[in-house]
Amino acid sequence: MTEDLQYVGGNYPVHDVAQKVTGELVYGSDFSVPGMLHAKLILSTIPHGVVKRIDTSRAEALPGVIKVFSHENAPMDGFSRARIHPGQDMSFYDETLFSEHVRFVGDRVAAVVATSRATAEKAAALVEIEYEELPAVLTVDEALAPDAPAIHDGGNLLFEHEIEKGERPDLEGAVVVSSCVSTPRIHHAALEPHVCVAQGHSTGGMTVWTTSQGVYAARTVIAELLGLEYHRVRVIKLPMGGSFGGKTEYIIEPVCAFLAHATRRAVKLLLDREECMIATMVRPATRTTVRTACTPDGRLLDFGAASTLDSGGFAASTPDYSIHMCKKVTKIYRVPHYRHEGRVVYTNTPVGGAARGWGAPEMIAASEVHMDRVAAALRLDPVELRLKNMVEPHDTDLVTGLPLGDARVRECLERGSVAFDWAARRARPAGRGRIRRGVGVAAGAHKNGMYGAFPEASNASLKMNEDGTFVLNASLHDTGCGVVTTMRVIVAEVLGVHPDLVAAGEADTATTPFDYGTYGSRVTYVVGECARIVAEKVKDRLLTAAADLLQEPVERLGVADGAVHVRDDRERAIAYRDIARLSQMRHVPSIAASTTYYAVSNPASYSVQFAEVEVDCATGLVAVTDFLAVADVGRAINRGMVEAQYQGAVQMGIGYALYEHLDVDEKGRAGVDGFKNYHIVNAPDMPDVQVLLVEHEGDDGPFGAKSVGEIATVPTAAAVVNAVNNALGTELGDLPLTPERIIAALHGEEVAACSSC
Amino acid sequence: MQLVLTVNGTTYEVEARPTARLLDVLRDQLGLTGTKEGCAEGECGACTVIVDGRAVDSCMMLAVQARGKEILTVEGLAQDGELDVLQQKFVEYGAVQCGYCTPGMLMSAKALLMGNPVPSEQDIRVALAGNLCRCTGYTAIVAAVKAASGQDTRPLMEMPVEPGELAAEAVTDPDTLAAACGIVEAETGQPPGGPCSSGGSSEMLGFHSAPEGGE
Repeated sequence: MTEDLQYVGGNYPVHDVAQKVTGELVYGSDFSVPGMLHAKLILSTIPHGVVKRIDTSRAEALPGVIKVFSHENAPMDGFSRARIHPGQDMSFYDETLFSEHVRFVGDRVAAVVATSRATAEKAAALVEIEYEELPAVLTVDEALAPDAPAIHDGGNLLFEHEIEKGERPDLEGAVVVSSCVSTPRIHHAALEPHVCVAQGHSTGGMTVWTTSQGVYAARTVIAELLGLEYHRVRVIKLPMGGSFGGKTEYIIEPVCAFLAHATRRAVKLLLDREECMIATMVRPATRTTVRTACTPDGRLLDFGAASTLDSGGFAASTPDYSIHMCKKVTKIYRVPHYRHEGRVVYTNTPVGGAARGWGAPEMIAASEVHMDRVAAALRLDPVELRLKNMVEPHDTDLVTGLPLGDARVRECLERGSVAFDWAARRARPAGRGRIRRGVGVAAGAHKNGMYGAFPEASNASLKMNEDGTFVLNASLHDTGCGVVTTMRVIVAEVLGVHPDLVAAGEADTATTPFDYGTYGSRVTYVVGECARIVAEKVKDRLLTAAADLLQEPVERLGVADGAVHVRDDRERAIAYRDIARLSQMRHVPSIAASTTYYAVSNPASYSVQFAEVEVDCATGLVAVTDFLAVADVGRAINRGMVEAQYQGAVQMGIGYALYEHLDVDEKGRAGVDGFKNYHIVNAPDMPDVQVLLVEHEGDDGPFGAKSVGEIATVPTAAAVVNAVNNALGTELGDLPLTPERIIAALHGEEVAACSSC
Repeated sequence: MQLVLTVNGTTYEVEARPTARLLDVLRDQLGLTGTKEGCAEGECGACTVIVDGRAVDSCMMLAVQARGKEILTVEGLAQDGELDVLQQKFVEYGAVQCGYCTPGMLMSAKALLMGNPVPSEQDIRVALAGNLCRCTGYTAIVAAVKAASGQDTRPLMEMPVEPGELAAEAVTDPDTLAAACGIVEAETGQPPGGPCSSGGSSEMLGFHSAPEGGE
């Protein structure tokens, strides 16, 4: 492993940290344009029905109201909020800007545009809407019932898929274990609400400023809905207060763009917290049954899973999301035979879609809780059982057929067990009093981009300024975890300059080259490698220019500290700024390069996590008292932020395991409307999360780096649930493990398996 | 209605609706958008400001209730361009990711340290209980507040370099430069200016605090 890296592996704050701590940074919600109007959405108050009449007269009579828009005066073409490129398969055009047929409480019915936010809100309350109610189906079971009302033409079974790989071995004498785990809908809970500003120009074109994870795709969706050529729609990414997948898809951008286009004005659409919770997107609820067969000594012979995913009122990305649930287990375990069937079902509930981990936290909750059941059935230690079955580096993923790369999941588990003192802690009695203690472990896997399923590539340009500083031009979408810094460090390492001498901006369809955006754990692995390669190209040009000036062959030259030097005579050095200026006199006006990088692999990223919990048997409350996350990151480009991102991911996973859920009542209304009744883990309830990095450079990312942001949260919930079950001797599998569920289990009440889905 | 507010040491006269929240006046009328809105119900803490020494959710306080009081927002933490020690430690400890909770976290922490200069870890966690963060898991934030109170905890992030600070680092050897200038002169038939006319490596010119395309 290369150990002489100068900048890679250091600890760097996010690029805009100074503006963030001073309050100077203009986020999407702070952004404004002169003369800007404000929009307020009007959402369906019923779960299923048809809008019969909309009376906007009182609202439009209010001074300051520009217009009210609904299905009556907006385009009604279907669009896909999840489509990344126009030719994409698996795009479901089942959504319109405003619904006439409303499909959940929170569905968009209308929008008021007014001169101020207060006026828009006041006017929204004056719009009268009359519905014809239709029977609603609020669970997947109701939706799949033979006589269920159809939410969309074609019925409620949106998508079905099945995969079977490998050969089923002889199962005679095998130990068969079955389990069922359900996972809840959750709110992404980015602290900044969804926001978009769009300006309709008198020329007919428009500019859209948004806190999105992919401006190029947003542009195609907006342009097509408005009948505009793509080049008339400029989409600019603004600083954003978190996403966690919730801002991956195009939900409010098309609406805001339409309002601006229709009024030929600038319009800001800023949602409130309740709207973010019910009217944007949730992590979809799932239910997965797993049935495995293994040898009495604990070798997996057969792994079968059946999952059902609740898509809510629209498809969004859920079919693809469900398919990805099938691609997790065989990244972790060697299984001779794997079978998985999935169903995706429409219901009259908030829309499910992209969320950090894209099916992995859901599937890993099911499979890793299951693995603990297998361990119990075989009287094996959970770590021992997992070690018996884990893949080795350079295995092939049975399901995808892709190489797993330098897969270090086994090393994560082995090193983590030692660091966590697993054996001793697991051997400690849970206690018999009010407070019971337990430990749990879980392994997770995720991907590195979309290679294998998608034309995975990225573009970047890099130029050197005449003073020896650099500007990287790539379509970066920083959700807040340091993408820009990562790219600066990569370029800096190649060119031998401090990262602060490398500038990098964020995506703007008018000025930055095409890129898909921050999806699929692709940014460091694919965009980062693209940045490394373009930096290598610029370095070649620098060396060529320097070779002429130094009268030395390129092979004898090296770069360090912002200068090109002669390797065996390091005194002979010429600073980049002097190379630039002298080269300009020699008719080399700019030392720059552009490149397109096509991904060549898609290895697995891994995390193995260990949780210690204390359960209060009187209250059913669980305290996570210690937590270790071990991460196969390949290489940490920015060590400090990798650790910090892991710590945050564990916060999200603990919430998924213990607290967070967005259920609907019998009338289809969400039981939550803000953080007062949607609990995310706060500072007193979070343990100090320890992070242990497993580094190597066996894969194709920049300097060996692999993905971090999504995998970090993948096994967290499973580790916590396993720890609670260890503490209580229970088989809880319906997430979250609320106090009610824990108390019911302790009282020996029959808890319906997978009741919540 | 007419209101007189003292914000970050400056007195403002504003015309505000009686129902206006302190948050609205700060953001919309005074342009102090560092104070964020995350929930509008006093749960997330993104809008925290300090009013007469106490941390307050500015979404839960009417502007009129702040009349005549001393209000401190995130914009008022740095003095004469010098970051407050809390801001400094938030940078050094990697306590900032998306940063949307950061202003509120800073103000809650500031209020804590104003009353309790050396808080325990539990004091810090409780003081920040009303400030939600989805990015960090709080570890780095708690460490930063500890460090700001003089209790160092763990290794630091590298501080961003001040603009211009790196300018002189890259060195050109004078003999090498002279030879290179000679090559250019021979090629172009003209005596080159710039670095060649100053008799040594050029000074870093035109390096501004806002990198091109970067901010």
